Amino acid sequence: MTGLLAIGFLIAASLAIGVYGVRAARTTPDFLVASRRVGGGWNAMAIAGEYVSAASVLGLAGLLLKDGIGTMWYAVGFTAGYVAVAALVAGPMRRSGAFTVPDFAEYRLASTGVRRLCGLVVLVIMWLYLVPQFKGAGVVLQLVSGTPYWVGVVLAGLVVSGSIAMGGMRSATYVQAFHYLVKLAFIAVPAVFLVVRAGAETRARALEPVTVPDGWSRPLLDIGDAGYPLLSTWSVLLATTLGAVGLPHVVMRFHTSASARAARRVAVMVIALLGVFYLFPVVYGLFGRVLTPHLVHQGATDTVAVVLPGEVAPGTLGGLLTALVAAGAFAAFLSTSSGLLLALAGGLSHDLFGSGLSRLRLAVAAGAFVAVLLSLPAAHVDINVMVGWAFAVAASTFCPLLVLGIWWPRLTLPGAVCGLVVGGVSATGAALASVAGTYASGLLTVLLAQPAAWTVPLAFATMVGVSLRWGSPPEGATRAVLRLHAP
Amino acid sequence: MTGTRRVRVSSPQTRIALARGVRGVRRPLPLPGPADPALARRVFVAQRRAAVRTVALLALVLFGTSGLIAALPVLDRLTVGGVPLSWLVLATATYPLLLLIAAWHVRAAERTEDRLRPPSAPTGDGPGRPARDGRR
Repeated sequence: MTGLLAIGFLIAASLAIGVYGVRAARTTPDFLVASRRVGGGWNAMAIAGEYVSAASVLGLAGLLLKDGIGTMWYAVGFTAGYVAVAALVAGPMRRSGAFTVPDFAEYRLASTGVRRLCGLVVLVIMWLYLVPQFKGAGVVLQLVSGTPYWVGVVLAGLVVSGSIAMGGMRSATYVQAFHYLVKLAFIAVPAVFLVVRAGAETRARALEPVTVPDGWSRPLLDIGDAGYPLLSTWSVLLATTLGAVGLPHVVMRFHTSASARAARRVAVMVIALLGVFYLFPVVYGLFGRVLTPHLVHQGATDTVAVVLPGEVAPGTLGGLLTALVAAGAFAAFLSTSSGLLLALAGGLSHDLFGSGLSRLRLAVAAGAFVAVLLSLPAAHVDINVMVGWAFAVAASTFCPLLVLGIWWPRLTLPGAVCGLVVGGVSATGAALASVAGTYASGLLTVLLAQPAAWTVPLAFATMVGVSLRWGSPPEGATRAVLRLHAP
Repeated sequence: MTGTRRVRVSSPQTRIALARGVRGVRRPLPLPGPADPALARRVFVAQRRAAVRTVALLALVLFGTSGLIAALPVLDRLTVGGVPLSWLVLATATYPLLLLIAAWHVRAAERTEDRLRPPSAPTGDGPGRPARDGRR
């Protein structure tokens, strides 16, 4: 009951802050990227708030409990992504004046066709990313109130699309900054409590390396116990680091900075905020292995952060802490899904079907509807695994497009299109093949479950190779590239 | 943020794209090139050098730490204060270094911009202008 109240309060507060932002959101730019007068600290918090999704609040702890310490490489990669963002795209993207990746593609390659293609890729990435968020909502609500899984999914879809359709990005900035604080506090306070309350013996056991399951304590990611820990780890690192560069809602966020310089600085602040946050999922994972190992057999490891406080302190206090974590998790997918849905709606209306504010609102509803439908059968897929796929697809499509588009004047239209298609099809296909079956070869299992190790180089090579062989750079390409770097 | 008047801005491409509507008539892209191409070229080369260096460092940290853990299984057995050394490597050799690399890159990029700024452009702002300027 406490959990429901906490979540209800959180939704009410988010809506209130959202409504406060509505008054200003009257034009498409307002709606898509807020006005560019959002302060640096607020902006960094909003970016971190949007970025720290259900994958981080619930998924990391859950996957750590299930697969071991190596899971922390996901968090390292999520954070390292912002180093790449600061170095490669933040400043130039802000200068390009393009709101979205499709906008940028049109600016750089002078083609509306490539804009549409990019719009399609946006849809794939955003849906892959939204489904685990809605799954998180369904699982958490089921846990704290006993409602069926689908109720949480549908409710999350309604709340997110409702608040976004009203306020757009302007309201989202404040809501998301608020959510970063909520998430940090609501994951940190119960975690500290866990550490203190669990007692010296449990603390020592949590830090003790274990031999069963094999490799749990080895800080490398051995996906599917296939026997290729270093390859798996590097593939995940490639996907998460370069995926951050190509995630449409991350790129879009930098336009809320006042200048290219500010955009770069914001990226650095985000690294610090993420580093602080990612200390805490480890606590839940380590204690979960000692206190709630049964979750592994139930296939419910994604719930460990919500279940743990109740295990350590039964009664009112435990209930209260569970409510805190549940509300934090709700904040996680509310804010992440807001940003995702907005980028998705931007792709649908702005890039695929022509523009206008009313269509944008319709696109928000349509995007959320499809995401909810896709989430209903996804109750048993690990949150972090799905988010990993979204990153892998982004790393294999938009990352090469943006990096080459910003730093290599010779990129041609055929090169970009071929690279996008090859990267998108191979990464999405590998993820689908990985869900569809199990494979005898360990190497194949790893390369399908974590495709970035081969799809990212393949996409880069295709873009460069085809650009050198076919087509010529669009007129004024050198000028356009130089302009992106001109102070 | 308090006291600053909000100015509504939008991207030139977006306005062009909106004005173009669904008819899809092609027009040349509206952004002018840099005022001083030679200077802009120097900025670009300097920034590219910094970016390559940063990405190389980033790869070194990520692949280096994970490679170290993979190459030296003994790190799993050695403990410091009850914590396996390999866990400490994962936690401490990554986040602080990532922050340092990023801060260093931003400093280098800003110094390049300050050093090679054309005299006519006093601020580092992007092409955003008040929206009404864009009406044709």
